[in-house]
Amino acid sequence: MVTQILDPTDERVPIKRSLTPRPEALHGTIALLDISKPRGDVFLDRLEELLHERAPGVETRRFMKPTVAKPAPQPIKDAILEECDFVIEALAD
Amino acid sequence: MHPPTRFALANAEGEEMQFPPDGPVLLALVKEDCDTCNLTLPLLEAVHRATEGGLDVWVAVQKRDDIAVLKDRHDLTMPLLDDDALGLSYETDIDTVPTLFLYDEEQNCTLQTFGFDKHEWREIAGESMALAGRSGTDTAIDWESLPEQRPGCGARNYEPGIYERLQALKSGDLLSRLVDLAASDDIHEFMYEQGYTDGFPVVPPTRERVWKMLQGTQRDPQEEVAVMPPNLAPITVEKIAINAVMAGAKPEYLPSIITLVEIACTESFNIHGVLATTMGATPVGVFNGPIRDRIGMNYLHNALGSGNRANASIGRALRLCARNVGGSVPGGTDRATQGGPHRLTMNFAEHEDASPWESLAVERGFEPTDDVATLLAMSGGPATVADERSRDGRGLAGTLALSMSCMQDPKSPMVDTLVVLSPDHAGIFGRSGWSKDDVRECIMEETAIPLKDRLRSDDAGCGLPPDIVERFGGEAALDMPVSKFRDKSNIILVVAGSPAAKFSTILGGWAGGAYSLPTSAKIGV
Repeated sequence: MVTQILDPTDERVPIKRSLTPRPEALHGTIALLDISKPRGDVFLDRLEELLHERAPGVETRRFMKPTVAKPAPQPIKDAILEECDFVIEALAD
Repeated sequence: MHPPTRFALANAEGEEMQFPPDGPVLLALVKEDCDTCNLTLPLLEAVHRATEGGLDVWVAVQKRDDIAVLKDRHDLTMPLLDDDALGLSYETDIDTVPTLFLYDEEQNCTLQTFGFDKHEWREIAGESMALAGRSGTDTAIDWESLPEQRPGCGARNYEPGIYERLQALKSGDLLSRLVDLAASDDIHEFMYEQGYTDGFPVVPPTRERVWKMLQGTQRDPQEEVAVMPPNLAPITVEKIAINAVMAGAKPEYLPSIITLVEIACTESFNIHGVLATTMGATPVGVFNGPIRDRIGMNYLHNALGSGNRANASIGRALRLCARNVGGSVPGGTDRATQGGPHRLTMNFAEHEDASPWESLAVERGFEPTDDVATLLAMSGGPATVADERSRDGRGLAGTLALSMSCMQDPKSPMVDTLVVLSPDHAGIFGRSGWSKDDVRECIMEETAIPLKDRLRSDDAGCGLPPDIVERFGGEAALDMPVSKFRDKSNIILVVAGSPAAKFSTILGGWAGGAYSLPTSAKIGV
């Protein structure tokens, strides 16, 4: 009878990260990240319109991944972190 | 064979005996189901009785239950030691029983032998008498009645299965965490519940099996082979070997599996995207070179299907590595909307002898004698192309073109389609004198339709956006023929399958070209 096996996984303990505290209200700059999926721009255009309408104080800034197939390049992640207070990512189709 | 210097084993009464004792000692290793051991045990007992008080005779028995059997059978009074765990046999590295070591009072091993050679045994018996300080050599053994020679038997520590277990237990090379199972656990249920499997049962990766798998490569078990997406986890040779065991692979497949992991994790192949895409792509492995026959890969009947261990398990091992080490789990970072059966495994060898052309590997810059693996990211197919009527290259290329024109959808230009020609279809091109490029160019031409028919329309929403016309020079370009393929190099031709049937297979690539490029590498050792 088999009593011991070797662990086939990477065995790394996931780092626990807590969510950033949710703010009471929108303020500052919101990053709108298009991952280059078809119609992501349509979704973000409408969202941007609604944000400007309902949260007039906030600014929006658009970002776009060069390809849907790979994770966002570090400079895009850095820019969002540096220049924005929030990020909304338009995922998938 | 190395004479032991120090060990502790229990005797028949369960008392621990420390080796070496004070003074000279004759140490023997035996097993019960060995005629030569049974022939010689009375001789050892005779030496023991003749030398008692001046020399110790210790006999290590390779199975605990046999101690009482041998004691009764031969009326033995000398200490019988329990080497059931085979620790002494392993350290001593004996391959034959009986094996004898004679030590003098300084604990130097002065004589040793294995099996039964009368001359050597008489010498050892005589020397034992001398070391015990007995005058003469009369051990009461009737040497004349004994045969001149008898071969010994294979030692238990070298029996298949046991040898691997001992190696694995003694090996300090394996660093993976040992997962303990309760006696009530069903191993297959347990492994499924842990999320280790692809849905099918896997071979439990015990230390013995993983150690044996690692014998298939010369690489260090702790060598980091790649960083495996999507979790960006370092993957070592040992982790690959564990997943290879689970996939049902043999040790001789391990270098191929390591190579596939290396290729998969390159920037150009981009396994992250291949496994994450909603389009359900999967790595498809094509093998070239002598390794195909060396490890018994299938390129004949059912070459793309089931039934061959190498084809099936090599591809499956890559997928299990991506799942267990990379963390690519359906519904997690594996977002395939529907996927397909080839996402379990798809891996085959090219039938190079049946091809009128150079192999895929040679075409990609390798030598025919190189062992090469190529990974391609495929999402569509395998779809059969049946053409039993064409007798020349032109007709057959036309059939292929029509079949390929609808891949993904009929309007969108496509990239990287893998065409697996059957030997019969490949032979038609060969007899027509068609090169690979002739086939590709004909397919490019035959799949070309006016740009306007590649644009999205109200009656079919797929295809190119209407504003793309501007990039082609405006309305005048609407009638310009646009091929299904951006470049002829996107049509990848290989040969596999059995003779006597005119069916080939096409597999459609994944999305746009630079997402994942066909990537090849030489298979290492």
